[in-house]
Amino acid sequence: MEARFPGYRLLPYALILPSIAVIIVFLVVPFAMAVQQSFYRTSPFGTTTLFVGFDNYAQLFSAPEYVQSLLTTLAFAALVIGGGLSVSLAIAILVTRKIRGVGFYQVAFIWTYALSPAVAGIIWALLFDPSVGLGTYLIQQLTGYRVNMRVSGTPALLIASAAAVWNMLGYNICFYIAGLQNVPKEFEEAARVDGASPWRTFWRITFPMLSPTTAFLLFTNTIYAFFQVFGLIDILTQGGPGGATEILVYKLYRDGFIRLRVNYAAAQSVLLFLMVAAMALFQLRVTTRRAEYSR
Amino acid sequence: MKRLALIAGLLVLMVAGLAQAKTTVEFWHAMSGSRLKVLEKIVSDFNAAHPDVEVRAVFTGTYEETLTRFIAGYRTGTAPHLVQVYEVGTQTMIDSGAIIPVYQIPGMLGETWDWAQYVRPIVLYYSVDGNLWPYPFSSSTFMLYYNKDHLRQAGLDPNKPPTTWAEVEEYGEKLIQAGVVSNVLSFGWPDCIFEQELALHNYLYADNENGRADLSTQVTWPDAFSVKLFETWTRLSQKGIFLYGGPEYDANAAFTAGKISMLLQSTSSLDGILKTAQGKFEVGTSFLPRFADEPSGNSVIGGSSLWVRKGQSEAELRAVWEFLKYLSQTDVAIYWHKGTGYFPTTNAALKQLMDEGWFVESPNHLTAFLQILSGRQDTAAALGARLGPFPEIRDYIRTAIEKACAGTLAPEAALAEAAAKANRALQEYRSLIK
Repeated sequence: MEARFPGYRLLPYALILPSIAVIIVFLVVPFAMAVQQSFYRTSPFGTTTLFVGFDNYAQLFSAPEYVQSLLTTLAFAALVIGGGLSVSLAIAILVTRKIRGVGFYQVAFIWTYALSPAVAGIIWALLFDPSVGLGTYLIQQLTGYRVNMRVSGTPALLIASAAAVWNMLGYNICFYIAGLQNVPKEFEEAARVDGASPWRTFWRITFPMLSPTTAFLLFTNTIYAFFQVFGLIDILTQGGPGGATEILVYKLYRDGFIRLRVNYAAAQSVLLFLMVAAMALFQLRVTTRRAEYSR
Repeated sequence: MKRLALIAGLLVLMVAGLAQAKTTVEFWHAMSGSRLKVLEKIVSDFNAAHPDVEVRAVFTGTYEETLTRFIAGYRTGTAPHLVQVYEVGTQTMIDSGAIIPVYQIPGMLGETWDWAQYVRPIVLYYSVDGNLWPYPFSSSTFMLYYNKDHLRQAGLDPNKPPTTWAEVEEYGEKLIQAGVVSNVLSFGWPDCIFEQELALHNYLYADNENGRADLSTQVTWPDAFSVKLFETWTRLSQKGIFLYGGPEYDANAAFTAGKISMLLQSTSSLDGILKTAQGKFEVGTSFLPRFADEPSGNSVIGGSSLWVRKGQSEAELRAVWEFLKYLSQTDVAIYWHKGTGYFPTTNAALKQLMDEGWFVESPNHLTAFLQILSGRQDTAAALGARLGPFPEIRDYIRTAIEKACAGTLAPEAALAEAAAKANRALQEYRSLIK
């Protein structure tokens, strides 16, 4: 660092100090407290505190619902990330074509991002209300099957995933539209002149050229599926029915704030942190290496 | 002239001084929807009548969220003076060490107060060794709401709602066969209906006299009765009669939209339901359905009560006490009852309501009273359970009901799974409090 600031030995450290301070106060200290809390058991009002060692962790690993919650989270994330990215890429390709009124379509698809997850949750909860929902009614008319997301777990998870994908659609489409506009037209034209089918052109030219965008979206959507959907789940299903939509971050909230098991929740937050950190590191390594940057 | 100006100036100073001496009482509550407006009116009337006190009523989310916030607030020293806690939080509050039992407050302020003026079942529910700990305010219980028009359409007598679960099933089949509805019955607070049914048949929920003699060590279920109850609900669910409608007040919409014919819900929803159904269909209310061949108990007091935080100045405590006394005034208690469906907590209010013919005018407001005053009040089972980790246990019971009704687990297995978690919670709580 000294090489970049010749003559000022301490200046670079002084310059990064504010950022470091913010990170320490808002991230490092709370995390350290969570780690400490996870080794104790406290009464709801904090009047009694017992040291229990790894008991909270032992309980977590022996609880079938924690494993269930982990699997639910993975299924949910796969649906939200996989479904969300493919649908938004398809829509982005359609709305970047030269068609009449393309601006209208673009706005129509992007505006969902303007809704907070809570509002999206209310909309979908109304759509799939077991007795008065429009979505419930349409599905029953079309298939004869009466969806009740308050009782049946799989439909509830699918509806929650669909709502999450829908809410994130605008964000993903925005980035894909921007990404598509950066793909040089010469390559696609050259491929077409060489007689490549549009399908082949897409997979061999467009998709690889989009990989920086995809890598970025993969990262943000993972964070979204793991954490930001909290509001949506809270409004839509409250983790139910029977824990079918209780993803890790929601289980943590329920255990800590509804069931008043603060220390058990602290242990979960430590584990969740380790999981997401590992995943983020892995994604950053793989995707930044694989992604082809046009510059 | 000069003197007048001086007096005026002094007066202004005095008023300003008085304004500064205003005591602020922070009051956190969980009253949403139609209840919120009624509560806000009461608070603003109180403030207008008491220029030296300002009660600041803050809506802090659901009951669960309000309790969590109070705990967090207490641990960081930002808790309000007064907080509304739902009935399942009662034991947690008693053991918290964070509150002043209300029965001690008049003595601390050099006053006396007649605690027998409150409706008996409410006093019994919230008392420890015969003394009231929280202030009885938003007390309710559960009852059956039904759509009289639907019963007529199915050729049933609208003034003969089902009394037993067997009749619920029979009526349900008729209503579906007649094509009136495709689902018949739903619950608000399903976890709470489970508690109600146990108490209604005089069965304990947990050991040590429902946690009223000593902290409970384990729940009593699954036993023959609770399994029978779960099997009944599962069977009704499979037949399409029972439509599981989610927690709290989610199922109300289906009832007021006429999609179902019966709803087991808190009495606090009465005014909301009557207003929404007005002009659409006639609402009837009755006692909760029971099993004909089981012993009799009582419906349980639910809703919430008001708790006074420890560590207030005498001026603040006096202001809180003024507000609590205001809530017991007959006209205020009546206004609260008429606007929400919660019980008026004092016997004087009850008498005046009767005298002015309110129960004749609106018999649905009498149903819950007759139900709870006619049931037995002399057993711990009929009074209902008081458990430390009750919010947590309710969560487990709700999951069990969802699993049983969806067919993911057999009724008994679902109950056993919830019981294992509940017992773990009870033991952990004991290890922390004892």
